Amino acid sequence: MPNNKINQSKSSLIYQITLKGHLQDDWSDWFDGLSLRCDETGNTLLTGDVVDQAQLYGLLKRIRDAGIELISVNPIAEPDDEITTNIE
Amino acid sequence: MIIPILSTKLHKPKPASNVVTRSQLFDVLDRGIDGKCIVVSAPAGFGKTTVITSWLETVEHAVAWLSLEESDNELSRFLRYLIAALQSIEPHIGQQILPALQSEQDLPIENVMTILLNDLTNIEQKAILVLDDYHSIDTLEIDKALTFLVDHLPNNMTLVITTREDPQLPLAKYRVRAELTELRASDLRFTKAEMHTFLNQMMGLDLTENSITALENRTEGWIASLQMVAISLQRQADKTQFIETFTGSHRYILDYLLEEVLHQQSEETRTFLLQTSILRHLNADLCDAVTQTHDSQSVLELLERRNLFIVPLDDERTWYRYHYLFTDLLRQRLLRDSAGFSTEDVNELHTRASIWYEANGLELEAFQHAIAIHDIERAERLIESQGTPLYLRGIVKPIYHWLESLPNHMLDSHPSLWVAYASTLLLTGQHTAVEQKLSQAENALKNAKQDDSTQDVMGRIASMRSTLAVIDNDVETIVSQSRYALAHLNPNNLPVRIATQWTLGYAYQLQGDHQLARHAYEEILLLSDPIENSFYAIVATISLGQLQELDNQLHQASESYQNAIKLSGNPPHPIASQALLGLARICYQWNELESAQAHAQQCHELLQQMENTDTTASYKVLIAALHLAQGDFTSASDALYEAEAFVRQNNFMFRMPDIVEAQVRVLIHQQNLTTALQLTETYDLPVSQARIYLAQQNPSRALQILAPFIQKAQENGLQYELLKGLVLQALVYNALSQQDVALEVLAESLALAKSGGFIRIFIDEGMPMQALLSQALDQQIFPIYAQKLLKAFESNSASQPRIDPLSERELEVLRLVAEGLSNREISKRLFVALDTVKGHNRNIYQKLQVSRRTEAVARARELGLI
Repeated sequence: MPNNKINQSKSSLIYQITLKGHLQDDWSDWFDGLSLRCDETGNTLLTGDVVDQAQLYGLLKRIRDAGIELISVNPIAEPDDEITTNIE
Repeated sequence: MIIPILSTKLHKPKPASNVVTRSQLFDVLDRGIDGKCIVVSAPAGFGKTTVITSWLETVEHAVAWLSLEESDNELSRFLRYLIAALQSIEPHIGQQILPALQSEQDLPIENVMTILLNDLTNIEQKAILVLDDYHSIDTLEIDKALTFLVDHLPNNMTLVITTREDPQLPLAKYRVRAELTELRASDLRFTKAEMHTFLNQMMGLDLTENSITALENRTEGWIASLQMVAISLQRQADKTQFIETFTGSHRYILDYLLEEVLHQQSEETRTFLLQTSILRHLNADLCDAVTQTHDSQSVLELLERRNLFIVPLDDERTWYRYHYLFTDLLRQRLLRDSAGFSTEDVNELHTRASIWYEANGLELEAFQHAIAIHDIERAERLIESQGTPLYLRGIVKPIYHWLESLPNHMLDSHPSLWVAYASTLLLTGQHTAVEQKLSQAENALKNAKQDDSTQDVMGRIASMRSTLAVIDNDVETIVSQSRYALAHLNPNNLPVRIATQWTLGYAYQLQGDHQLARHAYEEILLLSDPIENSFYAIVATISLGQLQELDNQLHQASESYQNAIKLSGNPPHPIASQALLGLARICYQWNELESAQAHAQQCHELLQQMENTDTTASYKVLIAALHLAQGDFTSASDALYEAEAFVRQNNFMFRMPDIVEAQVRVLIHQQNLTTALQLTETYDLPVSQARIYLAQQNPSRALQILAPFIQKAQENGLQYELLKGLVLQALVYNALSQQDVALEVLAESLALAKSGGFIRIFIDEGMPMQALLSQALDQQIFPIYAQKLLKAFESNSASQPRIDPLSERELEVLRLVAEGLSNREISKRLFVALDTVKGHNRNIYQKLQVSRRTEAVARARELGLI
C-alpha cells in the first residue's frame, strides 16, 4: 500500500473545480472525498487530489449527471512528494 | 408476468398530460425532418425527451425509439437493440444480420451497416429513429457505426439524438451541409411566457408577475427545477414567502428543492424513494423485494400521480424508472449520514436487488448490484453462473472493467477470476495480454485448497492456453494443453469441455489424423445441447463434413453440411458460409454446376457479414474451378489472382497451395510451364508438378514424382490426396504407353471414387481420360460407373464451344508446331511453300479460336488432338 501511495503522488495533481450553487459538506463523498467550500459569490469550490485523467473525467460526469453547472476546472499544484513520504 | 427490460427500451414514453406545448420548437423540428439528423443537446432536466415525445405526437411518420443506458456500450448489443427498434417500423429490417451480432468479435461493421442501410432504403414511408440519452454511450466503435449510418442514411429517414453532451459525430460537417438541426440548452429553457403557462395555467399556482420574474432569475428557465418548484408550491400556504426564501438562497437549486419535496412526503414515501433510488428500473415486485414491503404498486402509482419524476416504461404500468437526474440526487441523499441509512443498510438494499434480478434471470443487473457493493463472492458466482459463463453470453465489457479495477490481491484470493479476466481479454482481442493473467491464476492456485474447483480452474487455464496455441498454429501445444484441460475440467463444465474438444479436434485435423479428429468432433455433438451450445455444434458439424469430404465420403459430407445449415438457424449464422461452400464443392464434384453456383452465391452473401476469414479464399478457388469447367480461362485466372491478393493481404498463406494448384491448370493452358514449375516448387505440390511434366511430355519424370506421393498418401490414409494422385498416375502410364498399368491404376482410382460419386475429378482431365475410360468400359472395369463418367464427358463437351474439325494436313502442321519447329522448318519438312504453312496456321488458329502458336498447342492438347 505505501508503494501505491508514492506511485500515485507522482502523477496525481490537486485540482480545484468550481461549481455553481452552494453544496453542503455531505456531498463530499459523492465527489470522491474532495473537500467542499462555498464562496461568497454563490459558487462551490471542490478541492483535492485527483489521481489521473480518468478520475477527473469521472468526477465531471458525476457533476453533469447531477445537473450541476460547471464553471471551471484548474490544477493548482502537484502534491508535495516529501509530505507523502513523511506520512509513510 | 414480468415484461423483459428490452421491450421497455423500445417504448416511446408518453408525454405527461401537463406538458407545455412548445410550438416554436416544434416548427424547428418540423423543418429538421428534411435533414439527416436532429441533435437535442442540453444538460439533465431541460426537457429534451419531453419535447421530442410531445412533438412526435404531432407528426404522422413512423417512429423507432431506443432508450440507451450505460450497459449498452457494446457494439453488438447496441446494434441488436437498434435493429429491434427499427423492426417496429418493418419487422424484416436487419433480420438477416442478427445472427452475425451474436458475438462481439470480428464484426465487419461497414458490411453489416451496408446491409442494414439497404433495408432502410426500402422502407416506403418517412421514418424517424430516436436514440434517447445517447450520452450513455462512450464507445468509439458505436460512434463510428452511427457516423457510417448517418453518412449513408436514405432520404426517407431522420435520426434524432437526445444527449447531455455533443455526440462524437462529425457535427461540423453536417452543419455546413445543412443536414443538421440542433436544439440546445438556450432553446430549451422555458421562456417567461412558458413559465406563465406552466406555473399558473397548468399547475394553477396563481403566482404574481414579480414571483415569476424572481423564479426566472433563480432558475434561468431550467425545467426540472421549475417542476420541483411547482410541486413544492402546491402545498405551501405562503407561496410568496417560499419564493422569497428560495430565490434568496445560494444553495444548489435542486438540492434545495429536493429537500422541500421530500419534506412534504410521508415517512413511508420518503423511505421508499431513497431505498429504491439504487435501482435503474422499478417494478412493484422488485420494489417489494428491496424495501421489504408489500404495497409497492400503489406507491409507484402515487408517485406517478404526484408527478414525482417517475417515468412509466410501458403502457401496462409494469416497469418504471425515475428521471435519471432525480435518481442521482436521491442516491446522493441516501448515502448522507443524515438520511439515517448505514453503509450496511445500503449494501443490504443492493444485495436484495441482486438476488431479485438473479431469480428473475436478469444476470447482468444482478452482477451490477453485486459489484456496486464489492461483493466479490457473489459477483464471481454470477459471472461463472450455472451454465455458460456470462462473458461467453455477450456480457464482456462490464466484467472486464470490473476485473481491471480489482487489486491483484483480491484476484489472487479468487483464482477463477484471473481466468475470467484472461477470457475477457481474449474476447476483446487483446491476445498478447492473456498469458500473463493465466500465470497469475496459476500462482494464485498454489496457495489455494486443492479440491474439485481448483482442478477445474487448472483445466480452464489449460483450455485457454490451447486456444492461444490455435491462434499461433502450434499443434503440439494445442494437443498437450487440451488433453490436460480435459483431464482436469469438471465433468459438468460443458461449455469449456466443448470448446476444448474443438481445439483438440482442430489440432488432430492439422496433424492429418482424421480418425482422432472425427472422434473429438463427435464428442462435441454428444455433449452439446443444441440450444445452449449451438455455435460449437455447428462448427463441429462443419468440421466433420470437411473430414468426410477429405475421406471421399461426399454423401455423408453433404448430409453433415446440410445439418450444420439447419443448426445455424434462419436467417443462418454467418459460420454457415463454410457449410455452403462445402456443399458447393460437393455439387461441383458431382458435376451439378448450377447447384454449385447457387450454393457458392449463398456462401458469398454470408461471407459479407464476417470479418475476413480464409473461407473467402476457398470460395474464390471454387469460383475459379467453375470458370475452368466452362472453359473460361480468363475469368478463372482473375478469380485466382483475387484469391492470391486476398490471402497475402490477410496473411492466410496456408491457403496458397489450394490457389496455386488451380493456377497451375491455367498456366499449363497458357503454356507458361516455367512459371508453373517454379510455383509448385515454392509450395511443394507434387501432383501439380507431375501434371506440368506430363504437359511437357516428360511422363517418366512425372511418374518419379507421383510414386512417393501416392505411397505417402496410402500410408497416412489421406484418401482424397490418394485419389488425386492415382487419377493423374493413370494418365502418366497412358502417356508412357503402358496401357495395362494405366487401366489398373484407373481401376484403383475408380474404386476409391465410386461410393462418393466423383465425376469432375475425371472430366477435368480432358480427352486423354475420356479415351482411357472408354478402354476401361471395353474391359468391363467398373462398367456402370465408367459409363456414367463417359456420359458426363459427352454432355460436358456439348456445353463447351464446338470446334470445327481440323484436316489431316492441319493436324500434321500442328504436331510440328508443338515440337517447336519454326514455319520455315515446317515448310522444308513437308516440302511445301512457306505461305502454305502460314495459311494452314491461320486456319488452325481460327478453328481453335486462338491467336498464337503457344495457345494453339495448349488448346490442341486440351482437346486431345495431339
